Amino acid sequence: MSSQFELLRNVTIGQYIPTNSVVHRLDPRAKIISALLLVLAVSFTRSILPVLLMFVVILLIAAVSKIPFSYLMRGVILGLPILALVFAVQFIFQGWAEPAGRVFFEWGWIRVTRFSLQLISVGLIRILCFIFITSLITMTATVTELTHGVEQLLSPFRRFGVPSHELALINMIALRFVPTFAEEMERVMKAQASRCADIGGNSRFWRPDKAARAYLPLIVPLFINAFRRAEELILAMEARCYIGGDGRTNFVTLKSSRRDYLVVAASLIFFIFIATFPWPSLWDILALIGIKGL
Amino acid sequence: MGLAPIIRIENLYHTYQPETDQPIQALRDVTLTIDEGEYVVILGHNGSGKSTLAKHLNALLLPSQGEVWVKGWNTKDPAQIRNIRSTVGMVFQIPDNQIVATIVEEDVAFGPENLGLPQPEIVKRVDWSLERVDMLPLRRRAPHLLSAGQKQRVCIAGVLAMQPQVLVLDESTAMLDPLGRREVLDIAQRLNKEAGVTLIAITHYMEEAVKADRLVIMAEGQIVLQGKPREVFAQANHLQELQIDVPQITQLAMALSKHDASFPGDILTVEEFVSTIRKRIEDHQPLPPRSTNGRQAVGLNAAPDRPPKSKPEPPGEPMIEMTDVTYYYMRGTPLQVKAIEGINLEVRRGEILGIIGHTGSGKSTVLQHLNALLVPDKGRVTIFGQTTGSARVDVKAIRRRIGLVFQQPEAQLFEHYVGDDVAYGPRNLKLSREEVRARVKRAMEAVGLGFEAFKDRLTFSLSGGEMRRVALAGVLALEPETLVLDEPTAGLDPQGRRQLLDFILRLHDEEGLTLVLVSHNMEELAQLCDRIYVVSGGQVTMSGTPQEIFSRPDRLRELGLGIPAVTNAIYQLYEEGLVHSTATALTVAQAVEILGQVLNEQPI
Repeated sequence: MSSQFELLRNVTIGQYIPTNSVVHRLDPRAKIISALLLVLAVSFTRSILPVLLMFVVILLIAAVSKIPFSYLMRGVILGLPILALVFAVQFIFQGWAEPAGRVFFEWGWIRVTRFSLQLISVGLIRILCFIFITSLITMTATVTELTHGVEQLLSPFRRFGVPSHELALINMIALRFVPTFAEEMERVMKAQASRCADIGGNSRFWRPDKAARAYLPLIVPLFINAFRRAEELILAMEARCYIGGDGRTNFVTLKSSRRDYLVVAASLIFFIFIATFPWPSLWDILALIGIKGL
Repeated sequence: MGLAPIIRIENLYHTYQPETDQPIQALRDVTLTIDEGEYVVILGHNGSGKSTLAKHLNALLLPSQGEVWVKGWNTKDPAQIRNIRSTVGMVFQIPDNQIVATIVEEDVAFGPENLGLPQPEIVKRVDWSLERVDMLPLRRRAPHLLSAGQKQRVCIAGVLAMQPQVLVLDESTAMLDPLGRREVLDIAQRLNKEAGVTLIAITHYMEEAVKADRLVIMAEGQIVLQGKPREVFAQANHLQELQIDVPQITQLAMALSKHDASFPGDILTVEEFVSTIRKRIEDHQPLPPRSTNGRQAVGLNAAPDRPPKSKPEPPGEPMIEMTDVTYYYMRGTPLQVKAIEGINLEVRRGEILGIIGHTGSGKSTVLQHLNALLVPDKGRVTIFGQTTGSARVDVKAIRRRIGLVFQQPEAQLFEHYVGDDVAYGPRNLKLSREEVRARVKRAMEAVGLGFEAFKDRLTFSLSGGEMRRVALAGVLALEPETLVLDEPTAGLDPQGRRQLLDFILRLHDEEGLTLVLVSHNMEELAQLCDRIYVVSGGQVTMSGTPQEIFSRPDRLRELGLGIPAVTNAIYQLYEEGLVHSTATALTVAQAVEILGQVLNEQPI
C-alpha cells in the first residue's frame, strides 16, 4: 500500500552489478562481440549435447563475473511466459513429427515421443541461454559503456550511411530520461490520486475503452511534458554547438588490451567448434556406455 | 570596467508567427551594447520579451529586423554560428532538460566534442570546468542522483567547457531552493570577477540584481529603464508600474526616507543599511521619527504586506496529527533510504501553517502523509480522527477534505478544456451534473477565472500563471477543508506570485480554509503564517510562531535557510547594541516601528 506509487523499486532488468570482476573490466566492444558470437552459437545448436555445453559455459562466465546465481534467475522470471509458450507449442505440435522414436505417452491427439522431448528440452535450454547472455552483458557493463561500444563498433559503417553516432546519442538520451520520467509519472499519479482518482483500480477488462480512459489523466501530462522537455533539450543542445555527428570528436576512448582480443578470439573459436563439430546424439552415447531402450 | 563592446544589438525586432493572422511582437526596437567583463541583469515580468532577447545573443533566434553582433560576427551569418555559440554560452531554467549524457563528465564533454576538439584537449577542459563549479568529486555520478543545484552547476560546467567569453543565465536559478541558488550565483559571480567572463543574467530575484554592474528592465518587448542598480531601484514608483519588485531592504530604507528625507532611500544591502544606521547613531543624527502610519504597506512586497497576527488566536482543534512518523523510500531494496524520522506535527483548524526546509529535507514526504498518499512505516498519522493505513479508512474521503496541490501543478493538467479539467475531481466523486457544474463555477471564480469566459478555453493556450490557477481550482472543486500547497508561487513572476497569494488568503479569510504552506520563500512565510515547522535532515528541528522561529537567525543559517532581509537587519542592529528591542521584525512595517522606538529612546 505504502509503495503503490514507487515505480522504480521493482525494476531489476538491465541492472548493473558492480562486482568489478575481470569480465566487468573488459572493453565493452569485446563484450558485445563475444556476446553476439555466443548468441549465434546458441542458435546453431540442434541437439542436446552442445546446448548443455553452452549452458555450462555460460554459468562459468557468470561465476567468473561474480554474479550471484539468484540474480541471474530473476531474469528467468521475466522470461517465464516465453518459456511456457515455447513449451506448450512444442508439446502440442511436435508430438507427431517423424522420426518420433520411442513413444512415451499418448492420449487423444497429444503424444510425447523421444523426439518431441528432445526438442522441448533443447528449446527451453536455448531460451535460458539467451536470457542469461543478455542479463550477463547488462550486469557486467553499464548502459553507457554499451552505448559507446555500439557506437564505435558501428562507426566504420558510417560511410555507408549507418548513423552510428545518432543512434548512440538517441540511446543515451533515452537512458538519461528514464529516471526523470519515472519520477514524473510518480508525481502525476500522486497528484491525480489527490484529486480522488482511482488510478488503475476498478477497471474492467471487458471494457478496455474505459480502462484506457482512466489512464488519460496520467498519459496526457506525461506526453505533454515529454514534448516540452524535448523542445528545451534541442535548444540546449544547439546552444552547445550541436549540429549532428559530422566533425565531432569523442571524449570517451575505448582501449583494447591483449586480453580483449583473446576473449574475442576464444569466443570465435568456441562458436566455430559448436557450429561445425559433428555432435553425436545423446542416444548414441548412451548406447555406447550400455544404456539402451530409451 | 570593460573596454570593448562584446555584444551589440541594433534596432532589434522579433515577431513570432509572422505569417499567421496573429503575429506576436516579442521585441520592438531594442538597442543594447554589452561590454566585455560586464555583469548585466535583465529584469521584466513574464512575457516582457527578456527570454526572446537572450535567445538572440547566441543565434538561437534570428532578428526579424535589426542586427545582433557578437564580437563583430553578425548572428545572421550561418558560417559564424559555431563561433558565436561557443563565445556566448547559455544556461536555461530547468537543469534536467539540458543534460544529455548519463554521466556527469560525459555531459560536460558534449560541447567540446561538438566543436571537434582533440580528445586530450577535451579531457583537459572537462577537468577544468568541473573544478570551476566544484563538481570534480562527482564526475562519475549519474545526473539523476544529483540535487537541482548540482545539476545546474553541471550545466554551467558544460557551457564553460567551450570556454565562452559570455555566460547567459536564462532564469537559471528560478527552479532552485535558496541553497542551490546561492551555489549557482556564487560560481557565476566568481567567473565574472576572477575569469573576466561577461555575465548576463535574467531573473526575478532581486538579491541577484543588486550585485550587477547594470540593470536592464524590459516591458512589452522594449527596454524601458536601465542603469546602475542604485539608480534603477530609486525609481520605485516607476518599477511598481512595470511589475518589478524592489529588494526588501531597499523598501525599508525608502519607508524611512519617506519620513525623513535625509535618510538615504537607495540602500541595496543589509550591510549597507546596518552601517548607515550605525553611522547615524554615532553622529547623533536623528533617525526618522516614528511614523504614525507605520503599518501602511509599502505595497511592493511579493507577499501582501498583512499585519501578522500578533496575539495568538485560541488554537483550533487538531485536524491532522502526525506522531513519531518514520518513512523509508525504496523499502525492502538495497537502495532503502530513511526519508523522515520521528516527525511530530499537527495541523489545527483555521490556521495558516508553514513548513520550511530545503530540497531533500524530507518536507515533501511529510506533506504526502497529510492526505494519506503515503502511510508511515513507523508511528501514526491521524486525520479527522482516523488513523491512516488501516483498511477501514476511506482514503478518498480524506483526500476530498484535504486538498493537496503539488509543486508546479500546471504540469498535471490533461483535459482539452479548462472546465473539464476542473471537473475531474468532482466527477471522481460521482456527483450529479448540476453539482459538478456548480462546484466548477465556484472553484474557478475563487481563483479569478470567470466561469463563462474560461470554461471553454483550451487549457494549453493559457499563460503559465493562469494554468497554475486552473490546477488550483481543480483541487478547490473538491471543496476541501484544508488546502496543502507545495511551493505555490515557485517560478511565477512577482505579479503572478502576489495574485495567487491573494486568492489563497481570501479563501482562508472568507471561507475559513485551513492552509498548509510549504515554501523556501522566507519573506512570504514570515508574513503569512501563524505557526511554522522547520524540517531538516528528515526531522522537525524547530517549531513555533514566526517571531520565535525568526528570532534565531543563527540556527536557521546553520540549517542552510535564510531569513527575511529586514529581520536580518534588525537582528544585526540588536547584536551591535544599537537596537534594544528584542522584538523580531518580519515585515517592513514592523521594522519601521522598531526603528522608530529606537529613536524615542535615543538621547539627541
